[in-house]
Amino acid sequence: MNLGKQLKEGLLTQNPVLVQMLGLCSTMAITTSIMNGLGMGVSVLIILTAANVVISAIRKIVPDKIRIAMFIVVIAGFVTCVDLLLQAFVPAIAESLGVFIPLIVVNCIILGRAEAFSYKNGVGASFFDGIFQGLGYTLVLLAMCFIRELLGAGTLAGFRIIPEQFPIGILTLPVGGFLVLGFLIAAMQWALSKSKEGK
Amino acid sequence: MSTKSKEKVQMDPAYIIKLTVTLLVTCVVVAAALGGVNAVTEEKIDAINWAKTVEAMKAVVADPDNTTFSDKLTLTDEMTAASGSVTLDSVYEAQVGGATAGYAIKVVASGSQGKIEMMVGVDGEGTVTGVSIVKNAETAGIGSKVMTNMPTASGVGVLSQFEGKSAADGLLAVGTNVDAISGATVSTRGVTNGVNAALAVAGVMG
Repeated sequence: MNLGKQLKEGLLTQNPVLVQMLGLCSTMAITTSIMNGLGMGVSVLIILTAANVVISAIRKIVPDKIRIAMFIVVIAGFVTCVDLLLQAFVPAIAESLGVFIPLIVVNCIILGRAEAFSYKNGVGASFFDGIFQGLGYTLVLLAMCFIRELLGAGTLAGFRIIPEQFPIGILTLPVGGFLVLGFLIAAMQWALSKSKEGK
Repeated sequence: MSTKSKEKVQMDPAYIIKLTVTLLVTCVVVAAALGGVNAVTEEKIDAINWAKTVEAMKAVVADPDNTTFSDKLTLTDEMTAASGSVTLDSVYEAQVGGATAGYAIKVVASGSQGKIEMMVGVDGEGTVTGVSIVKNAETAGIGSKVMTNMPTASGVGVLSQFEGKSAADGLLAVGTNVDAISGATVSTRGVTNGVNAALAVAGVMG
């Protein structure tokens, strides 16, 4: 197990959103406010870690032919649990994320990591893979939320920073999501190629 | 050919049974876990939803402090027919001092970005006492202005303008007796359809 390498992969070289290009739909849809991003990021982190651990634990008894079906059942189970818990204990976040919590079931990051990592690796490594990949996802969400909420709505976590008449409203629309994500991906690729050259 | 024969081997009944049983056991275990979580959260979620509903209803009645609400009334075919293309979700009776003071009617109209769930208060005379939005997906910064009751060109809140309207005003329509928020005509029209439906429902209830 190489924690440092896994951490670096999750956050940078194999970042789920900016490098693997997984889970783009939710990234685009919910990153309009910091609180949304945090709620979604933490939900995905928890579900991803839990699903990774369980899938890794049962990987030896899962017949190859039906592994995808098994993954989905396990993932859907955890997502529904998180959905119910959010609704019961943090209704405000559940309300603002709405349908995107149930949609975590089909978020490719979770199925992708199940297939690419936890189905082939031990429980410990899969646990950390879930944490680090989840962190990578959360950080990208927060970066996008920061840019879109600050410039698009003029607020941060609901507090007004820029007077109401100045924000660039288009950034909070889907178009703005595509633009911001595009710039972030470009910046990431630039940084990665730079660091490769440096070596 | 080789793939075909391989397929055949895997269609072996014992293998199929193994697949089925594994999947079945997984589903049963997951379902049991969900049942457990549901048992813990169900009551809490119901309480939160009811509190939200009451809050939405209080926002649309004339005298929020002294009004209590009945449980959901049973919807008759007549009532659902009256709401027409707008979906009638539920009707609650508003009571002041135990007597019926009017109804809180929850309808689901279509806006520009999907459904608008809204609560309309109608008093005993069939006059609108208030309109509030329960849930919507209107575009932030455009349709959302309607949802948050921003004033129209005439200076009155776009939702507040419905207060005092009744079936006697005829069918409400944007442009004739309803002012829209500039740029958000479709959202305003959705809300207007919802109010029309609620008035029609209140009409058949007498």
